[in-house]
Order: sequence, then C-alpha cells, then structure tokens
Amino acid sequence: MSEELERRVEQIMTESGVFRCVECGKCVVGCPMAKMYASFSFEISPRGVLKKALLGPDPMKDESIWFCTECNACTETCPEGVSCRDLTAGLRKLAVEVGMAGQGLFCQHCGKLFLPSHVMKYLEERLGKVQWQFLHLCPPCRRERYVLLNS
Amino acid sequence: MLNLNKRSSDRNSSGVKSNHPALVFDPRLCTGCRTCEMVCAQSHFGTVSSGKAAIRSLCLEEQGKIFSIYCQHCQEPLCLEVCPVKAISRNAEGLVCLDSKACVDCGLCIAACPEGAPLRDPETHQVQKCDLCKGEPACVAACPSQALRYGPAKSPSWIRFPRWAVQAVAFFLLVIVLVGTVCSLSLGDFNLTCPVGFLQEIVASQTIILATIASALILLVLTVFFGRVFCGWLCPFGFILDLVGRFFPRFGNPKILRARQTKYSVLAASIVGSAAVGHQVFCPVCPIGTVCRSYGVKDFFFGSGLAVIPVALALEIGEKRNWCRYLCPVGALFGLMAKVGLMKVVIGAHQCKKFSCMECAEVCPVGIVDKEMLREGVSPALSMAECIMCLRCVEHCPYGAAKVRLKGQAVRPHGVEGFSVTPVTGTSREPSS
Repeated sequence: MSEELERRVEQIMTESGVFRCVECGKCVVGCPMAKMYASFSFEISPRGVLKKALLGPDPMKDESIWFCTECNACTETCPEGVSCRDLTAGLRKLAVEVGMAGQGLFCQHCGKLFLPSHVMKYLEERLGKVQWQFLHLCPPCRRERYVLLNS
Repeated sequence: MLNLNKRSSDRNSSGVKSNHPALVFDPRLCTGCRTCEMVCAQSHFGTVSSGKAAIRSLCLEEQGKIFSIYCQHCQEPLCLEVCPVKAISRNAEGLVCLDSKACVDCGLCIAACPEGAPLRDPETHQVQKCDLCKGEPACVAACPSQALRYGPAKSPSWIRFPRWAVQAVAFFLLVIVLVGTVCSLSLGDFNLTCPVGFLQEIVASQTIILATIASALILLVLTVFFGRVFCGWLCPFGFILDLVGRFFPRFGNPKILRARQTKYSVLAASIVGSAAVGHQVFCPVCPIGTVCRSYGVKDFFFGSGLAVIPVALALEIGEKRNWCRYLCPVGALFGLMAKVGLMKVVIGAHQCKKFSCMECAEVCPVGIVDKEMLREGVSPALSMAECIMCLRCVEHCPYGAAKVRLKGQAVRPHGVEGFSVTPVTGTSREPSS
C-alpha cells in the first residue's frame, strides 16, 4: 500500500472520529444490519468494521465494509459521536478508486456507486426474485426516469 | 416476502385497500416554482429549506420535462417490505406511514421505491415521506397554478350499468327471442351471419351466397369501428362467463397456457378442417352457437352440442375469460379486424399512477394490462387485438387515465426517450469515470 493511500485512510478515520471509539458496543445495538442479515456477526457490525480499520493494513480491501446501509443509527447512539457511516462511505469510495469495488453496485444509467451488492441481495430476498430495471438505478436517475415516463 | 401474485380480492380480506383521497399532479400546469417544497418543509419542520420537503419538483431542462416526486401511497408498498426496522406501516385508511422515531434513515425504502419517492435531506440525511398532512396537504393549498390537486379518486363506475344492460338484452334477444342464432339470424329483412361460420361455409361448400356476404360483414364492420365490442358487450357466451366467473376462484394461469396465438390456430384449423371435411367443423361445438341454438331453458340445459360448454366454463377457473383469451376463433377473427380498427384504449401516462394503483390490471377480464410494466413505472400499451372493449379499465380507473381514443390520436409515449438502461448482467460494473 502506497503512502498516499495510507494517508488517505488515516484522513478518513480521523474525519469520522474512529480514534475516539471507547468500544462500548452501543453502535451494534441500533444497527439495522442485525435485522437484515441472517449472517450478522461482529465482522460486519459497525464495531467490527471500525476495529479492522484501526488494526488492519488495508481496510478498504475487506469485504465487511460492503454490508452497511449508510444509515446513521450507530452515530446517534454513540457517546463519542463516531460516524461509522462516514468511515464506511469513505472506505468504499477509496476501494472504488483503487479498483477493488467487487461488492459495489453501480447505477446502470449514470455509473455512480449507489448500493452494496449485499444490500441488494437483501432487497431481492424481501421482494422476491424480481427483474425490475429501476432497482439498478440510483435514486436521482430513478426519479429522472420516472419524470421522463410521466410527462 | 412480497407475494406478487396477490390479488386485490385477497388484499381486501387480509390487508387494507386504500380508499383515501389522492394527491394528483398535472405536469401541464406546473411551472416549477417549487412553492410546494417550501410549504411542505415549512409545515413539517418550520423552515423553508426545500431539502427537508417530502415533495420534490424535478425540472429536466434539456428534455423540457417537469414533474413532482412524492409518495403515492401504494396498494402494495415495496418500502414497507424492505424496511429493516419496521418503521413503515399502512394505517386503517391505507396510507403508508413512516414512523420517524423508529426510522434509522438507512434509505432502503428509497432503494426499493420505483419512483425513489422517499426523499433524503442532503444536509441531515433524514428520510422524509409524504404523509398527506392529515387530509389537508399544504402543497395543494399553496400551489399557485393548481398543478397539485387533492381529492377523492373518482372513476366513471356508471359504465357497468349500460354494459350489463346491453349484455343482458343481447343475451335475451339472441338466445330466447330470436329464432335463429348469431351464427345465422334473420329478423325480417335484416340478416346477421357469424363471420367465422361464414368462412367455414365458403370453404366447405365452395360456393358463395352473395346475400350472406353483407350479413357476415355487419359484425366485422362493427369491429373495425368499435373494436371487439361483440366480445365484451354482445356475445351471449361471454355474458354467461361474466356472470358465473364472479364465483370462480382466481389464482392465475400457469405460464405454459399463456399462448394467446392459440386462438388464431383454432381459427385456421377450423377453416382448413371445413375445407377438408366438407361441412363446418367448429360450429357444432362453438359455445356461442350452442348457447344461441338452445331455444328456451329446456334446450339450454339439454341441447345437443353442450359438450364444449363445460370445458369452456372449466377454463374460467383460474383466470377470467380464458376461453376468449386463448381459444375462441370468433374472437380471433374479430381480433384481426380490431387490429386495423379505428379505436384504441389507452392508459395515459400523465394521469396513470402505475405501480401504486394497478386497478386496471386487476379488473381487465382478458388480462392485457401488463402488471410488470406498471410495476416498472410504465403505462403499458394495450393490444387492441386482445382488448374486448368491455371498458372495465375506464370504469375502474380512479384517475381517468384509461380512456378510449381514435387510432390516429396522439397519446403520451409509452417508452422512455433518451434514457437507456442496459440489462443487468453482472453484480457490478466499472464506473464510467
């Protein structure tokens, strides 16, 4: 890993307040992922992602960053105001930049990263095996498509 | 899991069917002033920052399009299915409510909505959704150009009365009063001949009786002008199917049986068969003819050619008008005529609420309103060869989107111009920098 990347990981971690974590575990309590994935574990929980970012050499290469829905439930309960959402979002962005976005889904129209494939898998699980095109569009493109369809 | 095969009748018993007034938007009147956004944020949060609003005006300047995005309160809300914290529910009136206390702003509802209607505040990342302001939407009151309207959904439900009346009178006349049948009927100087029977007669006897040409053309010309009105409004067997069909269970057809082309094969086979055998082969088993040939109640139950009627009635189990959809050669010939006909039934994209309503797809007896298209957010084009012009879609559409138009009349395009979506192949795609 180049120094430049290391510096950027460091920056993401500082900005999201990872170094303030007191390991109380309150973030896991409100995390909606627990209700989404049958395989929910410490690995993919906000605390696990945070810990791996702190310890691991290449946090953006890890698959566990591709489960989060980027809500803000963990930050709302965190006594230290650590934002796991910003950490995950930053790491995902970095992963896309270095070409390791194997678990990211990109909008079929504009090409932006908009949903991790694990979240899509959950959606498909809930909705049944559906072939709707709109599911593969990011919300702004989806609205644009709807406008074009309607007016 | 979401059950896509669920029908409205099931929904009535298990869930709620919404009957609340709807918020209707007319893009032709909207000026894009965004007053709706401001009053929405004002009434819910006491600020005029439009990012907080649960309604969004989208102006696509390049395409010259304008539209409002807001929650349509679907009959089958996808957001409700995917919400991991169960913050979304349907209340007794059928409104889809978002409990902001339980919501964790994960945005999965946005990811599941065909329209992307739950909106995220770009600053606080909070998810907002229209709650119709407890029956008095602030946006409607403030809209300066009346592009937003709010009121009870109205559908021209009176259409059912003339239809049932015409069907009953036609049945009464054709089956009981008039001696002769629709196959070949004469009333004084007026002659009416079934065009399919006529075709079979020509090839069987290899003679054309000039007098019958005109009488065979009557129904065909009627079809060219008005579509398959015979099937929807006049056919005595269709009337029986409509009557008894109400008591049959509906669970959808297996995919293998959904070949609408079969009826054209039946038509071709009966004509070729007549030529080979030397007499009309389909007419003796034709359910319409059989019903017509039974003079009075006694013959209706004990008539000779009744063998096919139980079959056609049995086909009615599962889906409405299965005989008419897939097998009836008379309908097939009328379908060919209606294809070149002057009328069409359209579902206007302006007014149609698509995935949130789907009433037309529920009531269409021949099932030509594509539910999957509606779920995608597209108003489907209807095939006039299949449409029996019963006008049930017009009768039930709460927003006046389903309507009868002339063939040449322009309607909103049914496709998306300038918006291509490539079919999904893999799980991910490289970003186009």
